[in-house]
Amino acid sequence: MIYSATAMALILIGIYCIATKHNMIKIIIGIEIICAGVNLNFISLAWDGQQSDPLASSVVLVSIAIGAAIAAFALAFVMNAFKQTGSSDARKLRRLRW
Amino acid sequence: MGLFDLVLFPIVGAAGIVAISSVVKERGSLFGAFAIASLSFMAFALFQTVGLIPSSYWIEGYPPPLGVVLCADSFSLFMVSLFVLMGIIVTLYSLKYMSEDSGLEKYYALLLLLISGLTGVAISGDLFTLFVFWELMCIASYALVAFRKDRWEPIEAGFKYLVMSTIGSLIALYGISILYGMTGTLNIAEIASRMPSSWTVEGYFSIAMIISGFGVTAAIFPFHSWLPDAHPAAPSPISALLSGVVIKAGAYSILRVLFIVLGPARYDFGTMLLILGVATMTVANLLVFPQRDIKRFLAFSSIANVGIIITAAGVAAYVAYHSPADIYVAYLALAGGAFHILNHAIGKGLLFLASGNFIHEIKSRDIVDLEGISKRMPYSGASFSLGALSLGGIPPLAGFWSKLIIILSLLYMSSAPLMMAVAVIMILNSLFSAAYYIWLIQRISFKPVKADGAKEAGPLMLVPVLVLAVLCVAVTLALPYFLEIMNSVANALLG
Repeated sequence: MIYSATAMALILIGIYCIATKHNMIKIIIGIEIICAGVNLNFISLAWDGQQSDPLASSVVLVSIAIGAAIAAFALAFVMNAFKQTGSSDARKLRRLRW
Repeated sequence: MGLFDLVLFPIVGAAGIVAISSVVKERGSLFGAFAIASLSFMAFALFQTVGLIPSSYWIEGYPPPLGVVLCADSFSLFMVSLFVLMGIIVTLYSLKYMSEDSGLEKYYALLLLLISGLTGVAISGDLFTLFVFWELMCIASYALVAFRKDRWEPIEAGFKYLVMSTIGSLIALYGISILYGMTGTLNIAEIASRMPSSWTVEGYFSIAMIISGFGVTAAIFPFHSWLPDAHPAAPSPISALLSGVVIKAGAYSILRVLFIVLGPARYDFGTMLLILGVATMTVANLLVFPQRDIKRFLAFSSIANVGIIITAAGVAAYVAYHSPADIYVAYLALAGGAFHILNHAIGKGLLFLASGNFIHEIKSRDIVDLEGISKRMPYSGASFSLGALSLGGIPPLAGFWSKLIIILSLLYMSSAPLMMAVAVIMILNSLFSAAYYIWLIQRISFKPVKADGAKEAGPLMLVPVLVLAVLCVAVTLALPYFLEIMNSVANALLG
């Protein structure tokens, strides 16, 4: 129960971080916090009182790898944005209507 | 092998293209031909699978519930054939359209990975496999949206798409983890059988997470704001693919999880889907008019069409929950929704590719600059008008019939006031979309010519457009045959 509540809290913190921060790197950190929250929820639900379900562990391992792929890809975006605007501030990317 | 071939061929093709590119550099047409070859192999594998449904395949031979399972019913195969068709047409179109860009080995490899991810989403038999293929599809499409990375617009739109879509997929994974907590398994058939027979609070919570999670990619109303930026920023063939099939994969995942896993008889998600669908199409249709950018115009119309598909699903779920005696209405609505998926994929693919021909010729996306261009580019212009008439729902064409089926299913339920309200809003929306499409045709075809120097596109860019235009007419002519397919799709979802 406490793990599920923590997972939920992590997801909310991540969404708050994405909504309020302007630095693109901090936005990516917010995504990674949500990812950690979801993984924690999987692991916490795998415990049935005596043992942990191996299915959830394997799922979370793959999910961590996917999270890393997304982070790497998002950082590539930050590099390209930095080349064009000279900053990693998401407010510089405001020519489209957000 | 069977089902596994469907995802394997494009992945092997992508790896092959990257491998070849280390030997021969900058030969775009060679990579494109390789991509078309691997998609053709995939189409061949698909033809062999059609006779075998419903079929399933265990990767590495581990049986469910622990192993990775692929399984296909008629809904999955319907979606896969749409993906392969659009994939081949878009790759063919890219040969000329993208020929001035560099780094084409990455372009074609990502295109194949996108098709492979989409296929995997459609045929995966457990929810985590669905998520893995979902992310494959998403990452490939972020990269393709931002393919022309030296300009500001693709980077900005791509980053926005990445942030919104990643939050969406993680929220959907959260919903999947709640389903796992309720039943202790991830296999779709197993979850459905272990689900408690009456509704639970966790069940509704996971429904909310899954609709909002997959709804970001499907561009349902409050989560649609990435789409009108990402579609114009992407190269035209990629816009056709995003609008034609990627957002349909979002709708597919919502339908698959809600109808098969949670079950419309246990949970009342019909009302939720109806409200979201109606809000999506109304907001998007109202936002179409002020657009000057032709691709933004088409992008908003895509959101409106997703609203129609979600509304159809909502009707089916509402009927199955509230009045199971009228279940035939649910079948009718789902068949109409599936038919609209087909019509919108063909029609919007056609519109984006034809507008790509215009844009390639006069280097502008402004509708004011495009006025009268049909007189200089008669074949592209005529195909564009055909697609616009079909999506606008002008009677003999296919788009009219799918909207009619959905509206008819709404009118059958005349005792429910909610359904009548939805029917009225949907009829108004259909009239509205017919109006703006005819207005667009009038500007493209009948106004005085603005761009005098424009010439008709070359054969490599014209053939895919004409093929889609012929398909648009062919679907209309073979209506009874297609309705039979749609009926089996509805059967796959409602059991």
